[in-house]
Amino acid sequence: MNLKDCHNFSDFRKLAKKKLPSPIFHYIDGGADDEITLRRNTESFNECDLLPNILASVGKPDLSTTLFGKKIEMPIFLSPSAMQRLYHHEGDLASARAAEKFGTFYSMSTMANNTIEEVSNVSNGPKLFQLYVHKDKSITDDLIDRSRISGFDAMCLTVDTLVAGNREKDHRTGFTTPPRLTLQSLISFAMCPEWVFNYFTHKKFELSNVAKKTDKGTNISKSVIEYINEQYDPAMNWKDAEYCVKKWNGPFALKGVMSVEDAKRAIDIGCTAIMISNHGGRQLDGSRSPFDQVKAISDAVGDKLEIILDGGIRRGTHVLKALAAGATACSFGKMFLFALSSGGQHGVERLLQNMHDEINRNMILMGCKNLKELDATKLIYRK
Amino acid sequence: MNLNNCHNFSDFKKLAKKKLPSPIFHYIDGAADDEITYGRNTSAFNDVDLVPNVLRGVENVDLSTTIFGKKLDLPFYLAPTALQRLFHYDGERAVGKAAQKFNTMFGVSALATVSVEEISSMIDTPKMFQFYFHKDRGLNDSCLERAKAAKFDVMALTVDTITGGNRERDLRTGFTSPPKLTLSSLFSFATKPMWGINYLTKGKFELPHLQDYVKEGTDTNTSIGQYFSTMLDQSMNWKDAEKLCSQWGGHFALKGIMSVEDAKRAVDIGCTGIMVSNHGGRQLDGSRAPFDQLAEIIDAVGDKLDVICEGGFQRGTHMLKALSLGAKACSGGRLYLYALAAGGQEGVERAIEKYKAELVRDMKLMGCTKISELNRNNLRFRR
Repeated sequence: MNLKDCHNFSDFRKLAKKKLPSPIFHYIDGGADDEITLRRNTESFNECDLLPNILASVGKPDLSTTLFGKKIEMPIFLSPSAMQRLYHHEGDLASARAAEKFGTFYSMSTMANNTIEEVSNVSNGPKLFQLYVHKDKSITDDLIDRSRISGFDAMCLTVDTLVAGNREKDHRTGFTTPPRLTLQSLISFAMCPEWVFNYFTHKKFELSNVAKKTDKGTNISKSVIEYINEQYDPAMNWKDAEYCVKKWNGPFALKGVMSVEDAKRAIDIGCTAIMISNHGGRQLDGSRSPFDQVKAISDAVGDKLEIILDGGIRRGTHVLKALAAGATACSFGKMFLFALSSGGQHGVERLLQNMHDEINRNMILMGCKNLKELDATKLIYRK
Repeated sequence: MNLNNCHNFSDFKKLAKKKLPSPIFHYIDGAADDEITYGRNTSAFNDVDLVPNVLRGVENVDLSTTIFGKKLDLPFYLAPTALQRLFHYDGERAVGKAAQKFNTMFGVSALATVSVEEISSMIDTPKMFQFYFHKDRGLNDSCLERAKAAKFDVMALTVDTITGGNRERDLRTGFTSPPKLTLSSLFSFATKPMWGINYLTKGKFELPHLQDYVKEGTDTNTSIGQYFSTMLDQSMNWKDAEKLCSQWGGHFALKGIMSVEDAKRAVDIGCTGIMVSNHGGRQLDGSRAPFDQLAEIIDAVGDKLDVICEGGFQRGTHMLKALSLGAKACSGGRLYLYALAAGGQEGVERAIEKYKAELVRDMKLMGCTKISELNRNNLRFRR
């Protein structure tokens, strides 16, 4: 099996599973507790149906939209995801280059293995920086300042990781950052010699954006759960978020908003967007899926800020349904991380091409010339 | 396993799978993307229950219905489907004769492998020609003229294939028309020698309605998705449909209507029927099932044209449910294609006989002797 055989999410997942040592594969693939929410994120798309119009002479549909003040060529982008260097030695540089090629946002995680500056040197495409509020406030300030200087276009603050989720697969595999060899994981690393070779022959693994401020996660192996619980400020409140919005003073999203009430407060503190997300089902298991909640939020605040649906997207038709329910754009993590693991920049490009083709094909089959035409009349919820 | 063991849809499917090289079986059995809509087309029937009446004296059941001005002995007919000689060497000859035996409508595809002239010299029961609007206008005119000269009763314009659906099984098996031997499919052809012998000895594979105009599908291998995307005219609009309707000058239907709005426009341009259909789930995955959408459409236009429910039927009771909602008739492709593959004309006859026996039995159990006695009081939708 190789990249050419990857036509959809599960193909990329399969190939990633072959290429990655198992603790790393399961770190991407896993969710919290029983993974009920992880599954629901995708299944929720199947309880409503698209209603096409015929004979609409669509021609070539316009898939572009505007997000964070930037025109993007299609209504999807790469969610911020930590430690991409573990999945492929090209890491964030691969994702950033692929996103630029398709005219859409690349997002950088606070826990990236490349620096803000490195990525802005290789990509002129639209860029979003994802912020965690650290206990050490100087880390937060430093990240905001550097993102601005490096020309990032937007900032998002993750608000659903005050404490780490219970990712049981990581307990079992002993996943840490940087990877630590244990007796039980030895075999799985030994079975992926190509990965091991690339890991040791390319740039040293570090949490580049914070490595100067803390050794944790770079020189001292930590599980992600330990890292989150030690470094992030669990007392973070609306005032802290407002501080970040003001300090950034540009397009700003809260990532992880699920309630209508919180969406309204996001407007009050000056956000221009929200990302409806449950962190890919990796935090609170049993929580509501983004798609189940998007319509209520869009009905309440859709005219006042941009709504990004993050999580569960596997198909072009999922994107169409999200937009018809009121989202401005959709983002995904797992899907592109599997593609990155499968083939670096080429893998992510193949995935984005597949998704582009699916969205394009399905717009034609829906009889829609542009994304505005995907309105509430195009989506029917079953009783 | 042989024909005598085939009692229902899935038996025929199982036998077809044994007889056909796998790329061909999966061409019939597959659908778009994740095949969610394909599954929903049938499972939709299970969200509603039949409510029988008792003590009605039901010894004689009349299953006849009238569509497009023709009286059929059965309330279902054989939908037009492409490439039938790939499924059994008799192809349309087998299906047409079986339809005649039961006096129901036989749908002939533009991508048929037997000509309209031969079919009309062979059977005198009602016939429908299914038409794809090609870029080549000469081909379009020729199809219409030949079907008219061959005294076909109905013209159905397919409107849901404006671009090819994403049929991933075909991507994997490498299915094309005509079939192409590849390294990966060699084994599956080699293990079905009878199919291969029949394919090579029972007359050349042809697409008689197209091959004078296009090489694709006969001399040049093409996938069906590719054929739709490259050969059909994507600019087709309501004006084109209206022109075809008056050019034909007889009973004219649009096949693939899903919205009420489009159903009303079909009335306006002079159609006498519509098929509520999503092309058997083979085009836009995530689109609504015909049965889910049927009531709305019948309420809007049921008194102005014949509304036919197409897709998902695997049982007599499924048909009773659609007819109770007000459909004039039911139709399906896989409904008889597995049977064709399983046993040629004899197979199709056995399948029709089975559905007919189910309908008669179920009508009696419902306390109905005529199709017109079925109505919405017979149905309860679960919440």
